[in-house]
Amino acid sequence: MTTSKALHVARIHSDVVSDFSQKMSSSSKVKLVELFYDVISPYSWLAFEVLCRYRNVWNINLKLRPALLGGVYKGAGNKGPDDVPRKFHYMVTDLLRLGSYAGVPLRVPAQPINVLLGKGSLPAMRFVTAVAEDSAGDAKVERVSRELWTRIWSNGQDINQLSSLAEVGQKAGLSARKVGELLEQSQSKAIKDKLWNTTEKALDYGGFGFPLTVCHVEGEPKVFFGSDRFEVMAHCLGERWVGPKPVHPSVMDSQSHATMRAAMAS
Amino acid sequence: MSSSKKVLELFYDVVSPYSWLGFEVLCRYRNVWNIDLKLRPAFLGGVMQGSGNKPPGVIPNKFMYMTKDLGRLAKYFSVPLCAPSDPFEAMFEKGSLAAMRFVTAVAEKAESDRDAKVERVSRELWMRIWSNDQDITQPASLSEAGQKAGLSANEIEELLKLAKSQPIKDKLKSTTQKALEYGAFGFPLIVCHVDGQPEPFFGSDRFELLAHCIGQQYSLHFQSFKNVMFCVDLSSYHLTHTDTYSSH
Repeated sequence: MTTSKALHVARIHSDVVSDFSQKMSSSSKVKLVELFYDVISPYSWLAFEVLCRYRNVWNINLKLRPALLGGVYKGAGNKGPDDVPRKFHYMVTDLLRLGSYAGVPLRVPAQPINVLLGKGSLPAMRFVTAVAEDSAGDAKVERVSRELWTRIWSNGQDINQLSSLAEVGQKAGLSARKVGELLEQSQSKAIKDKLWNTTEKALDYGGFGFPLTVCHVEGEPKVFFGSDRFEVMAHCLGERWVGPKPVHPSVMDSQSHATMRAAMAS
Repeated sequence: MSSSKKVLELFYDVVSPYSWLGFEVLCRYRNVWNIDLKLRPAFLGGVMQGSGNKPPGVIPNKFMYMTKDLGRLAKYFSVPLCAPSDPFEAMFEKGSLAAMRFVTAVAEKAESDRDAKVERVSRELWMRIWSNDQDITQPASLSEAGQKAGLSANEIEELLKLAKSQPIKDKLKSTTQKALEYGAFGFPLIVCHVDGQPEPFFGSDRFELLAHCIGQQYSLHFQSFKNVMFCVDLSSYHLTHTDTYSSH
C-alpha cells in the first residue's frame, strides 16, 4: 500500500477509533430514549418490540410516546406508503420478512388491511393516552399497545370500537371498572389535548412518519426515523447492536410473551 | 454447506446518495460473502415515473431528516458523502440521464475489465455529485470521471459517443424496466436470487435481513469493520470534506 493510501486508511481508521472510544466513555450515563408511535403503524410495532427488549440491555430510559400518525402526516404534508401501490406491495413483503426475522407476529391480514387503515386510529390512541396518563411508568401502556398491534396487524381486527378497546384493556390485565373509567377519560378534553401535544412534539423533532425514536445524548436529541436504524442508533448511544433478539425469549415479561405466543399460534 | 455463489443484483443511479452507501457496503462484502455481485446501472427518474412515486426530498421534514441521516450514515460507513450546495438543482433539474448512459456504455462496451470499470466510474461519478459538488451532466465531467477511473482518453471518447447511441439508450431503458419488474419504486434495489426466487430489498438499510436471507453474517461492529475497510480501494477517495461531516 502506498504512503498516501495508508494515510487515507489511517485517517478514517482513527476517526472510527476515537469516535468509538468517545461513545464508550459516555455510555455510563442513562440515556433517555423517546419512542413516538401509533398502533396503526406496523413498522412502529417492530421498533417498539426491539426497544422493549433492549431497555434492560442498553443503558437507556425508554419512554413510550403514544401519538397520532395521521396528525404527523397532516403536519408534515406527507402520506403513508399505502399511497403508492408498489410501495404498499413491497411493504407487505418487507413486513412479513422483518416480522419473521425479529420474532414479531406481523401477519398483515391481506383483505381487511386497507379497510382497517382507512378507519384510522384516533379512538385507539386516545385510549392508549388515557392509559398512559393514568399510570406511573409504562408497563400498562406497553401491554395495551401490544394488544392493539396484535389486533390489527396480526389478527386483522378492528381497533376503534368501544368493544374492541374494552377487550384490549381486559387482555392487558385491566379491571372492567378501570377499562370503563379509561374509556370515559378518552373522550375528555384533557386526553384529546395530551394526544395532540405528543403529536406536536413529534413534529417539533422534525417527524414526518412513525416510528420516530429520539435518543438524548449529552443534552442533544438524536432523531431516528423507522425501525431500521438500530445499528447506527446503538453507535450514537455508545452501545452495541446484536440484532433484534438480544435476550432469550424466557426473559421477556410473561404477559407479553403469552400475548406473542397466542398471536403466533392462532 | 452452500458452495454456489448467490447472485445479487444492485440496481442504482449515481444521483441517489443512499445508492452510494448500498454500493460501497456491497463492494466491501463481495469478497466476504459468497456472492456474485452484479452492478445494474439504471435510471431513477424512469423508476419514479414508472411507479408513480415521488422523491423523498419533496417533503420538507423528510428532506431535513435525510440530510442528517446521510451525514450520520456516511460517517458510520466511512463513505465521504457530502451534500451538494444545491441538492434540488443537482438531483431534479440537472439529473443523471447522461451519466447513467455513460455508465451503461462502460458496462456494455468497455474494452476489458468491464465490472471493475463500471465500479470505478460509478464511484467517480458519486464522488463528483455527492462529495465534491461537481457536475455530472457535461461530457467534460464524464470524461474527467472516466480519466480518474483509469480509462484511456481514446476509450473515454469512444464511450461518450456510444452513450448517445440508440442501443445504449435502449439498454439503460431495459435495465430500468427490469428494476420496475422487480417492483422498484426507488433506489437502491438489491435483488438476491435465493433458490431460484428473486428477493428484492429496497434501500441501504436491509443488510442484516438480506444476510439472513442468503445465509451469511452481517456485522459492522468495530473488529470486523476494521478488517472489511481494507477491502476498499481508497485511491479515488478525496477526503476534502472530513471537516464538514455532520456531527451526530
